[in-house]
Amino acid sequence: MIKLTIDGKEIELEEQVTVLEAARRAGIKIPTLCYFEGLKPFGGCRLCLVEVEKLPRLQTACTLMAADGMVVKTETEKIKAARRAILEFLLINHPLDCPVCDKAGECELQDLVARYGPDAGRFTEGKRHHPESFDDPIIVRNMERCVLCTRCIRMCEDLQGAYAITVTGRGSHSFVEPFSGGRYNCEYCGNCLTVCPVGAIMSRLHRHSYRPWFVEKEVETVCGYCGVGCSMVMQMREGKIIRTIPRMGLGLNNGLLCVRGRFGYDYLQSEQRLRSPLIRRDGELHEVSWSEALDYVASRLKEIKEKHGPQAIGAIGSGRCTNEDNYMLQRLMRFTIGTNNIDSSARLYYAPALLMLEGILGQGITANLIPGIKNADGVVVLGGDPTQINPILGLQIRAASRDGAKVITLGRAKGLERFAHIMLPGAPSNVDVVLGMIIQELREGVELKGENKWLQEQLSKVKVTEPIEGIPLDETIGALREMKNAVLVLGPEVLQSDNSDRTLLLVAALVYLLDARVFLLSERPNYQGAMDMGVLPDMLPGGRPLEMFKQKAEEALGREVPADRGLNLFEMIDAASEGRLKALYVMGENPVFNMPDKDRITEALKKLEFLVVQDIFLTETALMADVVLPARAWSERTGTYTNLERRIQFIRSGTDSADGMEDWRILEEISARLGEEKRFAILDEVWEEVVHVSPLHSGLGYDDIKDGKAIWPYKGEPLRGVEETYEIQGLDNIRPIKSGQVLQLDRPLYHSGSISRHSKALRSIEDEAFIVISTKKAEGLGLADGDIVKLITDRGSLQARIKIDSTVDEDNIYISNTFTEANFGSLSGYEAGRLGSLSLDKNPVKLEKV
Amino acid sequence: MERFLLKNIDNPESHRLAFYEAEGGYGSLKKALSLKPEEIIGEVKNSGLRGRGGAGFPTGMKWDFASRDPKFPKYLICNADEGEPGTFKDRPILEKNPHLLIEGMIISAYALKAEKGYIYLRGEYPYAKVVLEEAIKEAYEKGYLGDNILGSGFKFDLSVHQGAGAYICGEETALIESIEGKRGQPRIKPPFPVNVGAWGMPTVVNNVETLANIPLIIKIGSEEYKKIGNPECPGPKLYCVSGCVESPGVYELPMGTTLREIIYEHCGGIRGGGELKAVIPGGISTPVLTPDKLDTMMDFVSLPKVGSMLGSGAVMVFDQSVCLVRVCWRAMKFFEHESCGKCTPCREGVSWMRTVLERIESGFGRKGDIELLQDVASNIAGKTFCPLGDGAAGVVLSFIRNFPEEFDYHIEHKKCMVEA
Repeated sequence: MIKLTIDGKEIELEEQVTVLEAARRAGIKIPTLCYFEGLKPFGGCRLCLVEVEKLPRLQTACTLMAADGMVVKTETEKIKAARRAILEFLLINHPLDCPVCDKAGECELQDLVARYGPDAGRFTEGKRHHPESFDDPIIVRNMERCVLCTRCIRMCEDLQGAYAITVTGRGSHSFVEPFSGGRYNCEYCGNCLTVCPVGAIMSRLHRHSYRPWFVEKEVETVCGYCGVGCSMVMQMREGKIIRTIPRMGLGLNNGLLCVRGRFGYDYLQSEQRLRSPLIRRDGELHEVSWSEALDYVASRLKEIKEKHGPQAIGAIGSGRCTNEDNYMLQRLMRFTIGTNNIDSSARLYYAPALLMLEGILGQGITANLIPGIKNADGVVVLGGDPTQINPILGLQIRAASRDGAKVITLGRAKGLERFAHIMLPGAPSNVDVVLGMIIQELREGVELKGENKWLQEQLSKVKVTEPIEGIPLDETIGALREMKNAVLVLGPEVLQSDNSDRTLLLVAALVYLLDARVFLLSERPNYQGAMDMGVLPDMLPGGRPLEMFKQKAEEALGREVPADRGLNLFEMIDAASEGRLKALYVMGENPVFNMPDKDRITEALKKLEFLVVQDIFLTETALMADVVLPARAWSERTGTYTNLERRIQFIRSGTDSADGMEDWRILEEISARLGEEKRFAILDEVWEEVVHVSPLHSGLGYDDIKDGKAIWPYKGEPLRGVEETYEIQGLDNIRPIKSGQVLQLDRPLYHSGSISRHSKALRSIEDEAFIVISTKKAEGLGLADGDIVKLITDRGSLQARIKIDSTVDEDNIYISNTFTEANFGSLSGYEAGRLGSLSLDKNPVKLEKV
Repeated sequence: MERFLLKNIDNPESHRLAFYEAEGGYGSLKKALSLKPEEIIGEVKNSGLRGRGGAGFPTGMKWDFASRDPKFPKYLICNADEGEPGTFKDRPILEKNPHLLIEGMIISAYALKAEKGYIYLRGEYPYAKVVLEEAIKEAYEKGYLGDNILGSGFKFDLSVHQGAGAYICGEETALIESIEGKRGQPRIKPPFPVNVGAWGMPTVVNNVETLANIPLIIKIGSEEYKKIGNPECPGPKLYCVSGCVESPGVYELPMGTTLREIIYEHCGGIRGGGELKAVIPGGISTPVLTPDKLDTMMDFVSLPKVGSMLGSGAVMVFDQSVCLVRVCWRAMKFFEHESCGKCTPCREGVSWMRTVLERIESGFGRKGDIELLQDVASNIAGKTFCPLGDGAAGVVLSFIRNFPEEFDYHIEHKKCMVEA
């Protein structure tokens, strides 16, 4: 127990903290500039000087640890004079250009000078000059305004871990610059913008467009880009988003955002947004009224159902739409149309992987808290770079590493290069060999708990018949054995091979042996929610298998649930091309572009009698549709997302849309036109039904969700234990598959599917698809970063610049699927793998130097 | 007095190992290796040796703190970043007597149980780098460095790390940052380097001259050592004298020799028989003294009594021909250039003081400038992150306090008193 006195207040502390923190806890605010909660103390600005009895000099409260018996004063005349002096010093070189500075109004220096500062400065010579830098498309640097608090640098180094910026020069000619010179070569998280107290580092996206006091509305919401679900605040003026910012203490991201969340919001205001419902007449899409479009959709669906039966109709839900939207889509399909033909792009990897993991290890196995990763003492990462796929989760791994956790990566993980202790090779289709080698060693001498007999049986069968050479196995096993509080992060890359079922079994075995918390990376904000809402051909809302819970669901709703398992995404495509599926309803998804084998998907959809697409852009899929319905975008409606840790979070509307309609409401309108009673006037009523039908969500109201209490397990009960067994081939004969050079899907940090191509900001950072190859491959071909190469598959070829990544496998060539000009989908094919996910193994590719 | 630190430096072979050994060199190391590390620390504590870099912290106490820390490895760093203007006392040791330093470092490392040492060498001492590296090579070859030194089982590796020219890197925590490959800026203290130093490990940073004293303490014993110079802070001291004296240079004298004796007996008095006007006793960061303080003993306890400090023992002598406003302005140019930029008062305030001094010196001084300078200096003093800013403020305050008439004259007559 530490007892000290600050400004006459006696304060008792349980733990050692700084005087600044002790004062804060006692409600005494000491002014600061270089201090920022969560960053290491710096002690440079000298504003937090306080008087401490028995110490001759003034002390900085941000660096001085509170000690027993200390007597501190924070507001004496001497201190006020010192603060005034410090502020006078700061204004020597800080330009008084507040009238043209975007920061004015939320500038910490301005506020401090107003409170403590001198009325006028006595410095009469000229201020230092340094040209404002517009070298970067997103971030403008005005180093004349910089007060050298180094908050940006500490943020970049200590929290973001990007190490992109530093102080150059010395003394009053010190400036913060990126190592890359003019333009930043960094992760563009923009977290330096958050911490800059003055107008030295600013976003160009809203430059000179508003004053902080012009913000008309602030709305707390959750990012719509990936499955982490970062909280953010939208600031609005005149119906438009001015910017999205994180806030300390808000959400699991606690003040941090990634590039997509911070800068990617401008797609909402894109000129290319859909403005009106469209109906195809004589081969062309024509604008029509909502009622005409809705009537038409209903009549066509009715007609097809009558003619071909409900099994001729299918639907694709969306990981970008809310729980409520997805619930309504499956409701339309199951209860109104009468088919279980419903699935989403979660099928590509997330859904089959999650279902198998849950089948082996139990429901909710991936429901672990993201901020808890930093407390781990060991992290195993495989299946792609988490700092690109789910950046804020990636930061937690970096934080864990900084706190001493051992980080082991298998395969691609460039963003963890500085943080990983052991980087093992792991080509997506051969990672099972490395895992097998690890398991063979790790299982020795371990007394298994016997909780999971089936898994233990499988574990004992594991045999690698042809090990991969050059793996530091002893070191890896040593590190794994020391882990007492392990985390395993599993990404999509290793889940899209033909043998992914075996890989996943080995992952489950590793999780079991390490007693690790497992995280399944999610590329979309609501893959988990779509699954929970029953957007699966064989599962009802609440994660209940169809055959087991058909009756219960029928009792709960008083409606009949179709008995037969429906078609999944791949089967729907096949059924369409074979003419069995006549109508497809696509909500918030763009399969023509987002799935590999563009030709196959296009051909299949062409055969449909009726295609409805509900979206915010006229996507490649929408262009083929018979009816296109403009939906509302992320910022234009409310609802809930369930993130990868299964936290249900509320998204709120900030902007309005005169043209679009919420997805769930469109579906309600169509249901009504198909003879359903109108039930849902407001969103809350949809959720009420979800809670009623899904035992998982039982008793969970919006108030709980808004309060941040919707963390797994919810009030409802998980319903299934560990029961399932799987037939896994070749566990006793694991060896590398020599498939030659194959094309893989790149998941770049700066983009997200096909939506981010409508963001000018993100495109200004990266406006092309790169061919990502290994260092070895580049050396073999004599290529350097940025060289243009020709990529050839049996489907065609393209040219693009290369990016060298030292962590990728030599035989795997990556390209993203965002840009129309050069993308993965048009050059690749797919099959359904044994796991039930996409298998991308059979995409041989060649590279030619141009 | 018999010279120890500068022994034989006039001999062109003084830097060679063979010569050093022939003169009894590395004898103290052999003696030290027969003692327990704690005994050596005890001897150094008892000797009353105080750090020669400027702060005068008791060396034995510093060692004691570091050796009590249970963390390993520990590091020993020799601060050879001799950057204080007017200071060139370490240079003859580095260039002429490198084995004395190396011997001192090996003994110190043995006492501290440190297995790795660095000599952080001033970037502008390229010749010393050549000499030191050659000497280190010789020492390795003879088994004074490396594994199992002289069969004792003790291991110590030593290398030279060349600085890049920043004055602030003479401050021990900035020096450590620099060795770690970071920007040279001081760290928050506490924790002190003795507990959390290089790469977070216990680290002792000692000045060249301090470490060069160690073999002497071991050789003659702490009791004999205490008899040299002022008993309150004993030992031999290198005084480097520059400016208006007949024979500027480095003088090894007992600690506590008076300024008068140094200037008039050893340096041959004021150049050309001129009259003394001012003297800076310990490098540019120490407050200037007037001629009436000439009988002050030059040591860590006597100089503070007259409002200055021993600092690095760099005596700068100014006669009546020197304009002290110009000296003050020139000093401020130095501090402005060398301010690392970390803390506000030093970064902005020193540069402000320079501009005001510049306008006074160039004949554009204004009424009130002296008060402004004093106010700015007081606003810096005691509020900076490290002593650099304090030093700059101290210079301005002491020059104005001791020679107000020169500043007044400049402002009033727009020209220098000396020229007039």
